[in-house]
Amino acid sequence: MDARDEASRLVETYTPLIMRIGYTYLHSREDAEDICQETLLKLVRRGEPFADEEHEKAWVVRVAINGCKDLLKSAARQRSVGLEEESVKSTPDGETSDILGAVQALPETYREPIFLHYCEGYKIAEIARITGKSKHAIAKNLSRGRAMLRKTLGGDL
Amino acid sequence: MKSRYADSLHAIEMSEERKDALVDMLAKEIEAAPSKQVSIEPPKKPRRHGSTRFKIAAAAACIAVALGGGGAAYAMDVGGVQRIVQVWVHGDQTDAALVVDNGTYTLDYQDADGNAVHRGGGGVVVNPDGAERPATEEELLKEINAPEVSYETDGRVIVYYLGQSLDITDKFEDGVSYVQLQSDGETLYMTIKYQGGYALSPDKYIQPNMFG
Repeated sequence: MDARDEASRLVETYTPLIMRIGYTYLHSREDAEDICQETLLKLVRRGEPFADEEHEKAWVVRVAINGCKDLLKSAARQRSVGLEEESVKSTPDGETSDILGAVQALPETYREPIFLHYCEGYKIAEIARITGKSKHAIAKNLSRGRAMLRKTLGGDL
Repeated sequence: MKSRYADSLHAIEMSEERKDALVDMLAKEIEAAPSKQVSIEPPKKPRRHGSTRFKIAAAAACIAVALGGGGAAYAMDVGGVQRIVQVWVHGDQTDAALVVDNGTYTLDYQDADGNAVHRGGGGVVVNPDGAERPATEEELLKEINAPEVSYETDGRVIVYYLGQSLDITDKFEDGVSYVQLQSDGETLYMTIKYQGGYALSPDKYIQPNMFG
């Protein structure tokens, strides 16, 4: 496989996933695109081989999440446009669905497992490995996140 | 919820222009360093050992190695001070080198067979006002010493909690087992789904449909 084919494979395989992660954390399509670029550059610069495709995917998820957290912590982003304003201008089709908005309003502790479980289909043990937290903590945060969503959405789960 | 939530997020895509630019950028990067192209190797076969205890410990080490590739990176770059603490591993208390920094930790110890084990992780705590803060050392140690459900190679299911171990292999009904754990006069109620995680509460058994 030549370099361009490999680059296309990575972009086609992982940009949808990283965009979802980026949007979940950053509420901004533009920032999510930046996280895509940063994550995939790290991927091609990584010297170590992966055990299999699942290992590669889990690595991408982890690095993308860490990238989002770093961006959220950066002083530059905190000084820039407020999250609410940015979210409005960047959401798909100009509006956010009620459920997407409810998930994005969750504290990060709950939003992370909700996203990985319900959107990406990871099991509790897999989320624990990806995030470096215990299975107990993930199960607890999933449960609390679901309870908060139930309250917000009026039992529409 | 799963479908509606996933559908909402799947609508968020990278623009075609940005995709094309990214492909160009990655292709140049790959060409510049052909020896570092992304590759996938078949997994190495795990070493086989005689005792059940070692197999469990070896599994823990594999997980730690996987985390070291990226998930524990936050913890591996920490600048905290290392100190020796006692942690419980599969019912045995052992000395471990713990480094905590800003809610993340690394933990190094030797398992029952003398193999070096490296673990890392971290977490945040949500205050009553909704604000998040990094977990303290005490909170991280509590997580490190949380109960553990071990699915052993001979089919047994063992719960380890501090110095206790409990065989619950035959305690599942419809894939769920309810276990009471006691330590220092405190009771923890544990709901375990077979191969599906567990929930813990100091007050009551969490219903299986509330997690996993």
